[in-house]
Amino acid sequence: MSARRNTASRNASRNNSSLEWLLRLARSRPVTGLIRSWQGWVILAVVVSQLLIPIHYYTVRRDPHDERFAWRMFSPMRMAQCGVRATLDGAPLPIEREFHEAWIELARRGRFAVVEQMGARLCEKHSGKPVVFYLDCKYVGRPAETYGGFNMCNVPLI
Amino acid sequence: MSKKRKHAKRPQPGPATAGKPAAGKPAAGKPAADKPAADKPAADKPAADKPAAAPPETSPTHAAQPLPEARVTADKSPGARGKRDKPDKPGEPPPETHVPPPRPAKLPPPPAPVFWFGFEVPWAKLVAARVVLFGLLAIDAFLQISHAPRYGAGDFNVAHFSFLHSLGPGRASYEIGQLLETYLFALAALGVATRLIVPIAAALYAWLYFGSQLDSYQHHYLMALAVAIACFVPWQRPPDATPATPVRSWALRLILVQLGIMYLWAAISKLDPAWTSGQTLGGQLAGSLRSLVDATIGMKRVAVLVIGTEFALAATIWLRPAWRIAAPLGLAFHTGIVASGLEIGLFAYLMLGLYVLVLPDRWLVRLAEARALQPLRRALHRLGATTSWVLWGLALAAGLAIAELVRLEHAVLAALAVTAIPLGLAVRGRLAGGGPSGALGAAHLLALALWLVADRASAVAVDYYKFWAGSQRRLGDMKTAEQAYRRLVEVAPDLELGHYYLGRILVGGGRGEEGARHLHEAQRVAPGRARAWVEEARWLASQGQKAEAIEKARSAVSAEPGSRDARALLDSLLANQAAPASTAEDDDPL
Repeated sequence: MSARRNTASRNASRNNSSLEWLLRLARSRPVTGLIRSWQGWVILAVVVSQLLIPIHYYTVRRDPHDERFAWRMFSPMRMAQCGVRATLDGAPLPIEREFHEAWIELARRGRFAVVEQMGARLCEKHSGKPVVFYLDCKYVGRPAETYGGFNMCNVPLI
Repeated sequence: MSKKRKHAKRPQPGPATAGKPAAGKPAAGKPAADKPAADKPAADKPAADKPAAAPPETSPTHAAQPLPEARVTADKSPGARGKRDKPDKPGEPPPETHVPPPRPAKLPPPPAPVFWFGFEVPWAKLVAARVVLFGLLAIDAFLQISHAPRYGAGDFNVAHFSFLHSLGPGRASYEIGQLLETYLFALAALGVATRLIVPIAAALYAWLYFGSQLDSYQHHYLMALAVAIACFVPWQRPPDATPATPVRSWALRLILVQLGIMYLWAAISKLDPAWTSGQTLGGQLAGSLRSLVDATIGMKRVAVLVIGTEFALAATIWLRPAWRIAAPLGLAFHTGIVASGLEIGLFAYLMLGLYVLVLPDRWLVRLAEARALQPLRRALHRLGATTSWVLWGLALAAGLAIAELVRLEHAVLAALAVTAIPLGLAVRGRLAGGGPSGALGAAHLLALALWLVADRASAVAVDYYKFWAGSQRRLGDMKTAEQAYRRLVEVAPDLELGHYYLGRILVGGGRGEEGARHLHEAQRVAPGRARAWVEEARWLASQGQKAEAIEKARSAVSAEPGSRDARALLDSLLANQAAPASTAEDDDPL
């Protein structure tokens, strides 16, 4: 009981110290100097957003292939190669007749958002018929994975 | 005159404004020009190139100096103007034409935090950065036009943000947008009305980039951010500026900090066994650099070195005292990327361009003061001093004539649109009591001439029509494909591909005679390719001209003995069978 109380107390103390640190930072001369002018707000907005936006990729982004805004140039994920197949009502669908090659190339890089929009387009065009996409992805340094395989007219997200 | 004086007295926004700090800063409410200028040194100054204090006559107060009669733009960049105002068109001469003051003016103490608001670079460095960065962006924008046919193809788009899905650019708007970007960046490189031009270019750049995931290049994202921040840089000439005149800009510091953050995240992204093992780099590196690495320290060590370099650049590029590390390291790093053979367009060059900002100040000042450049500077001053509506009108007309020579579909339309800029600037100058200067007309002409030079020196126009035609053909829109192939054979009459596909479309559409003419042309320009003969043989066979068809099939085999299509067609015709379906691969890349 005592140990638990100690742990809780330590956590509370840690949270308080983090909060205090943030408050101290916010009240520091460089920051207060910045927030007194619109130029300072621009600086703060750019610096804070650029430090935080890439964290989105490592924490909540559901598509590991989508490295936009994360400054992951030449990363291992960039080497991913995905085979893209689609079926319409169970029959193979030649997607090169439906979409420009550049979009298919993005799909081959595993970009979920592109495949999902392709699915939405095909569902709209062929109303009532099931549209299924398969992404078979191979990576550098990690096992291959397959995404999709369900009717995207019912489940629009991969 | 009173109007102009009023204009000159207008408060200058921005904490970096040398003559007056922005509202809310320590000296708020009291113009810094009223304070002793040299009583407190700025904390972050060019170390070796720190200018001496200005003599009293070279540091008039901001309000004391009226604008000259011929002023066309009203660019009052924060922090750049010092205690004076001055014409800001390129080449606009100072009152004492091309006789530089003996020593550059010293800026008053900056407001806190001086890390941001006290960041100074000499005027020579700012000019070099402006010319290199915007010049490269202008060229990059033009080169992007070859990708225009992807945009809007099949009426499909996925934007970077969902609210832009339906607002993304189409083929024509992308082409026009990039032509405008080329023009605007060229004007910015030449220093024309940058406070107007750079924000327009930044907004257009953001729309073209964020409007479609077809452009997912991170360097275009970086440039979108950099150009947006560049809107706040005082790119135009301070009054009486010499190469060493200090210009203060928090936005330049912000660009460098942005680069530092980019390097930091780039290094973090590589802390992955797939990278540190050298496997990822080995899969991307090609060319002579690949051979060099393999033969020397090996891919694994280079992969680790890349991480170390990126961390080092993240820590040094934004910090003036560390530039002696950042400059050689970064230049070597990006030169290595150029040599790596990676397909990243102008990215490495753009990064090298940004490194102008971290080169030693004294190098660029000395370069600008070089005797060899003096005649050029004098000529620019003279050009700026020339005011003539006739010359200006001729420049506008010549600009349209130049655009007519550009082989892109909407070049003339885009030229008409950009003509509004010199027109507006001249009208504005007229309302202020002046007229259009020779520099404005010359800059307009040079920017449009860049279209023509870039068009003729690159394959952009050919690729544009080739990709447009190919994508429309694949998507089944033969009418548009035919239109694009017709333009392709006009701009590239010696390209076999254009004649071949146009011939095929025409023959397939029942216009055999005209199609056959294009197939003959394809045979003439590429005598070693069988497909145009094969296509003609098929058409002749379909018209019942069997003997002629066999003769053409023989020619096909003779032209390209390895062609299975040609051999199969000849065999079937000789065997009196129907012509087999073509197995020829589509070879026009997108």
